Amino acid sequence: MKNTGKQALDGVKVLDFGWAFLGALSGRHLADHGAQVVRIESRARLGPARVDRQVSISTANNPDDKPLFTYLNTSKYSITLDLKHPRAKEVITRLIHWADVVVENFTPGTMRKLGLSYEYMSKINPDIIMVGASVYGQTGPLAREWGVDGTGNSLSGRYYLAGWPDRGPVMPTSVLYGDVVTPYFVSSAVVAALDYKRRTGKGQYIDVSMLEVCANQIAPVILDWEANARLQTRTGNRISYAAPHGVFPCIGDDRWCAIAVFTNEEWQAFCHVIGDPPWTKEQRFATLKSRKENEDELEKLVAEWTRKYSAEEIMQIMQEAAVAAGVVQNSQDLVEHDPQLEERGFLVPLKHPVIGVFGHPTPPYKLLKTKAGVRTSPCLGEHTEYVCTQLLGMSDEEFLELFQEKVFE
Amino acid sequence: MANGLLSGFRALDLTDEKGFACGKILASLGVDVIKIEKPGGDPARNIPPFYQDIPDPEKSLYWFAFNSDKQSITLNLETSQGHDLFMKLMKKSDFVLESFPPDYMDRLGLGYEALSRVNPKIIMTSITPFGQKAPYNHYKSCELVVAAMSGVLETTGDPDRPPVKESPNSVYFQANAAAALGTVISHYHREITGEGQQVDVSIQECAASRNINSLLSWLFDKRLIKRSGAINLLGRIRSRWIWPCKDGYIYWYLLGGQLGASSNRALSKWIDEDGMENPLRQVANWDEFDRAALTEETNDAFEEAIGKFFLRHTKKEIAEEGLKRGINAAVVNNPADVLANRHLAVRNFWADLGYPELGITLTHPKHFFLCNGTENYVRRRAPLIGEDNDEIYGKELGLSSREIAVLKETNVI
Repeated sequence: MKNTGKQALDGVKVLDFGWAFLGALSGRHLADHGAQVVRIESRARLGPARVDRQVSISTANNPDDKPLFTYLNTSKYSITLDLKHPRAKEVITRLIHWADVVVENFTPGTMRKLGLSYEYMSKINPDIIMVGASVYGQTGPLAREWGVDGTGNSLSGRYYLAGWPDRGPVMPTSVLYGDVVTPYFVSSAVVAALDYKRRTGKGQYIDVSMLEVCANQIAPVILDWEANARLQTRTGNRISYAAPHGVFPCIGDDRWCAIAVFTNEEWQAFCHVIGDPPWTKEQRFATLKSRKENEDELEKLVAEWTRKYSAEEIMQIMQEAAVAAGVVQNSQDLVEHDPQLEERGFLVPLKHPVIGVFGHPTPPYKLLKTKAGVRTSPCLGEHTEYVCTQLLGMSDEEFLELFQEKVFE
Repeated sequence: MANGLLSGFRALDLTDEKGFACGKILASLGVDVIKIEKPGGDPARNIPPFYQDIPDPEKSLYWFAFNSDKQSITLNLETSQGHDLFMKLMKKSDFVLESFPPDYMDRLGLGYEALSRVNPKIIMTSITPFGQKAPYNHYKSCELVVAAMSGVLETTGDPDRPPVKESPNSVYFQANAAAALGTVISHYHREITGEGQQVDVSIQECAASRNINSLLSWLFDKRLIKRSGAINLLGRIRSRWIWPCKDGYIYWYLLGGQLGASSNRALSKWIDEDGMENPLRQVANWDEFDRAALTEETNDAFEEAIGKFFLRHTKKEIAEEGLKRGINAAVVNNPADVLANRHLAVRNFWADLGYPELGITLTHPKHFFLCNGTENYVRRRAPLIGEDNDEIYGKELGLSSREIAVLKETNVI
């Protein structure tokens, strides 16, 4: 499909107060598709990604050497503004005038305290679209509480369901869910609201709660409780409608392969691939029902076979026989050994002025004509002058005056 | 007509379990979503759990959860009449959602190019495990396999056991939310320019894109972050996130600096009031508490004391008393707890949907977000197989009841 060079959200103007992951990623989806996203930052109160030091390249004193910030804020503009400065309102008012959309994810009530409520903004710009994203939502008894990714995952029931039946819940060591999934809903709501505004002239206030997004994910489990009084819990890697369905040890240090057999046809193919050992002919493994009843034993026997091969070999052998199987890949595999992710352009090398060249993730949903155009993240306040003079139309004198009064700190 | 953000637009939804949550998200935005099922029904209707555990394509709770607010027609796309009927509907539609193996639609003459010749404005969203292109595009997959290939599985689970999956079909749900976003962004562009397009969603890549921290660790420090149970490793700080309590589990973590100060102080005070040994007392000023500087030994001592403390209290105590004291803990709710959660009830998060055929009402999550000017939520239970055949083929396409009967007999619908 021909790339037309245009981007889908060309012309859309977004004011991004996004903090940490949730708000920042929401703005990122819009920016990567062509929206002009202006991120409001403060030198006095740097966001967590500006001070993050999880990788060794990041130092204590430079807000611009943080690849985490880049991953959350590609394709954006950055302006610094001291929101508590008496003259900051002059800039904010013009930004609100300029913007189609405002995204924020402070603890509910914070924007109001800053004098930036939806009522205030919609007085300045009546058809503005504003999104408040949070863990709990803007209303309800817990609205003023604050939380993080794990808070939303815990309350929604998601965490309870991961792990082994004889042990407590586990969660991915370093991989977030609510903070990544909720932004899809924030951005979808924003873009749908932009289309609604185009048709009706009306703006919108949108309230997105991570807890609610995550609770939608486990809806079938909630229905099972209501309809059947069955309280589902942790099952390891097992599910009721496939066996074997698990993660099996392979040659190498902590290497594993996932294998899943659903239908009888797949079971036959699986048996054949592993050389039709006598145990596969036993009655206790003949049907899905009997395999489920004897799953402990089944998994032991499967593991005896998988231990003799590399995870990559098993994936290939199984896939050739049309049995679902996949290497349990680690980050090194994703970056270096996965031809499919490479074909997709999962990580695109881009040059950051301070950090240098490194792989930036691209949106995993590919618009094949109006392709995402990912640019590296801005340095702190990199576009303050550009935004004020070019986007907001301030005169040079006015900008300098505010600058000298330290409004842009 | 519902007053949603995207009311008045129509989607044809050909997906199975890999993609049907995308259509549900669009339906909640007001899009008129028609599920097109093969005669006999979408094979994903056979996924458990079932109402009363009776395997029946009209009783899958899994299917109910992600197909509410859709209409259903049956159609055999592999027949020439089926092909033509689909094209007639497609001509009047705005979106096509599909999750077939790549090339399947092409082989039926229903690939994106063929559709766009008839309707240049059409947006076709394709949701597949690995995306449309080789080398893995024809690999067999499922939630577990795609989670494995995404890197997410590798970082989940106890260190002494194999990696373990997250809550059921987490990866599919995430990819479907991403697909809905890609669809809506394409829609915005199409409404301005008249140009439709295909959106190619790889479920694997969606999940892989969650590995923000573990990717950075590998790219910059050649360090692999391994699974560690309920211990979090965002950055270099090891921090327990999930703790057993008297009757379940609690989410809480020791956070440094001003952000964590008030909850740390409150927890320490509560431990004191319980008359327990409290090593947290050695922190003189929580506002200046540097989590990264905590030695492993001190961290272990803190965790031991906190662990013992939580074990003395119930979920309810920690939720209610903890809220008053501001310790900022959350209960690791089980599914029944979620349904009973007062905060969600006050926010009108639940919708009771009637299933007259089963004589029951089931409470479903009602919305993905709230909006002040429009109504974007669930209204109606998932459709029966072909429930809207008469409405769509008869009233809309103008087929007579005899013609519809013939289509049924010849297994076209």
